[in-house]
Amino acid sequence: MKEKCLNIKFKGMGSPCEITLMGSPNEEETLTALQQEVSRLEQKYSRFLKNSVLNAINASAGDPRGFTVDEETLAIFQHAAACYDQSDGLFDITAGPLNKIWDYRKAIVPDKNTIEETLQNVGFKRIAIKDRKVFLPSGMELDFGGIVKEYAADRLATIANKNSNLMGLINLGGDFAVIGSKHTKYKPWKVGISCPKRPSVAIAEIALHHGGLASSGDYLRCFELHGKRYSHLLNPVTGYPSTGWQSVSIAAPSCLLAGSIATIAMLKPLQESSDFLRDAGLAFVAVDPDGKMLTNLE
Amino acid sequence: MSKRSVHNKIKKRYSRSILALSGTALTLSSLSYADAPPTQSTVSIKSTNYQEDDLLSNEVLFGELSRYDIDVHQFQLVTPVTRNSSLQVNGSYDSLSGASPWFTSANSEGEPIVNLSGASGIYDTRRELSIGGSYYLENETVNLSIGRSTENDYNAAFINFGLTHQLNNRLTTIGVNTSISNDEIFPTDAEKFNRIKSASKRSVSTALSISHIINRFSAYQTAISVTNQKGFLSDPYKLRDVRPNSKSQYAWTNSFRIFFEKMDAALHSNYRLYHDDFGIGSHTVDFSWHQNLSTYIPFDLRFVPSIRYYTQSSANFFTNIDDFSSDPLAPQSSDYRLAAFGAISAGINFIADLNNLRITAGAERYQAKSKYSAYNVSRPSTALVRFSRISIGFDFSY
Repeated sequence: MKEKCLNIKFKGMGSPCEITLMGSPNEEETLTALQQEVSRLEQKYSRFLKNSVLNAINASAGDPRGFTVDEETLAIFQHAAACYDQSDGLFDITAGPLNKIWDYRKAIVPDKNTIEETLQNVGFKRIAIKDRKVFLPSGMELDFGGIVKEYAADRLATIANKNSNLMGLINLGGDFAVIGSKHTKYKPWKVGISCPKRPSVAIAEIALHHGGLASSGDYLRCFELHGKRYSHLLNPVTGYPSTGWQSVSIAAPSCLLAGSIATIAMLKPLQESSDFLRDAGLAFVAVDPDGKMLTNLE
Repeated sequence: MSKRSVHNKIKKRYSRSILALSGTALTLSSLSYADAPPTQSTVSIKSTNYQEDDLLSNEVLFGELSRYDIDVHQFQLVTPVTRNSSLQVNGSYDSLSGASPWFTSANSEGEPIVNLSGASGIYDTRRELSIGGSYYLENETVNLSIGRSTENDYNAAFINFGLTHQLNNRLTTIGVNTSISNDEIFPTDAEKFNRIKSASKRSVSTALSISHIINRFSAYQTAISVTNQKGFLSDPYKLRDVRPNSKSQYAWTNSFRIFFEKMDAALHSNYRLYHDDFGIGSHTVDFSWHQNLSTYIPFDLRFVPSIRYYTQSSANFFTNIDDFSSDPLAPQSSDYRLAAFGAISAGINFIADLNNLRITAGAERYQAKSKYSAYNVSRPSTALVRFSRISIGFDFSY
């Protein structure tokens, strides 16, 4: 690839982001448009920005009038509903309250009563969606983690693909999407998969021609107590951390699909998850609690 | 664990889970978004008091010294209707009292002196209602609105059509806008003061604008507009005011905004060049500094000081001492708004965002003087205004 290559690194959605573009003279303008799209989605769906749509929905909890959402937010809900169904309730965007009772910095396991009490406010099926209105029961809150950043990577690729000459790679904190996948004469993008224990070391490489790649792992936020590892990924059915993989990386036709499958795989029990990943028909690299790698890649 | 180099060979047979999730993921990724249809309804109310300073007694021969005092109450509702459309309703109620210059004459030294309208002054109210809709396509927005305003002696009906098109990865927006207004005036006490009984005028205005986002921190907009007015353009309440029955106005506006990340502040700057065939040319320059203060306080607050300079040349037929001996049909006006002058205004605004509520409070002081003019002032007006304006507004989204 001899074309001029433009690379930009910035912070967005709470993560380090990187966009690499080549093949078009108006890359600068595209880059600006892409950064604006990251900013738009962050403003709209961040848990940490009090004026976000997400926080407005959360603030509407208990309001019998519901909260009217736009087409984009509705589509996110529909995808979240599909994730909930396909994971038998494990991928649940209402699991947020559980995060508050598990303090990873102090490494304290909450008592059973607190967990039981918190679980009263968890459960996607308790949300009613009618027309474009979302009715969130009192005490519940939403978190689009595992969806929005992955969706953002796909959106950026879609925007960049409007310019048919462009090629490149979007990386939003480890969520990847390929730009210009029809340029088949070029070599694929090689994305390194980190070792859960030593994130700076790559244990595998996935060659990405098109679509996206996402990883879910607990190596960035977990603690060990009395020899037991407590993952930051919480099982919304039991209220306890998942005990499956340390990390799962998936390559799929879209980054959103990859991220959704990776999160579901992380939450499922190990054996069930192994079967789920093998049946999925997508390229995956998973690392179990003992550090052993399972993959369907050659 | 050793590093392995592997290539993904995705099987063509996906599991049912994948197919189910692919459907919703694809729906989400393939959505195309309209310009920005509102997702919430917003109700806004704003009250403004505009108070012109009294004239000094040595500037006035007779009449009330107090000039216009206007209270304006505005209401706006913007609400989504369907996924791609929104409705906008605007209403306003103004009440006006005070006096305005009736005619100008010369004092004993031959200097111009103002004669204000009757001792009892003027009292009037204005009601305006407009309703409009916007339709949002992938890269276009279409707006249409109609409205009507009524006063004791004035009715206006207007229609406005606008179209914007976004291109260049939505970094550039081109807009065209056309509005037509039909106005009717039927002055009070027409017979008593020998005023015209009723008259009308029509205004047609077309504007073309281009805005471009230069980068993450700056944006530029430029627009040209042409307005043609035909009909009765004089002020029937002045003793001697004859203006041509058509007027063409041309304006070129430019706006540049830049955000300074380190200072968490933005500079908005605007320049407007104007010319009309009454002979008036003008320049307007204004700057406002939008300083975010949310780093220091527990809610979003913006502090916006601003300054504006305006200067215009006089209309060809402006006079600062009414000449009652001239041809009664020849254009002539002593309206201070047609004089050459300059004006400086400074203002301050606070904008606070508290969850669903935005509160805006502002104050402005304006002073027009002949000596501020960048143009030659051969006939200075004695009736130039100084005014103060204060306003408070509330926007509530739900």
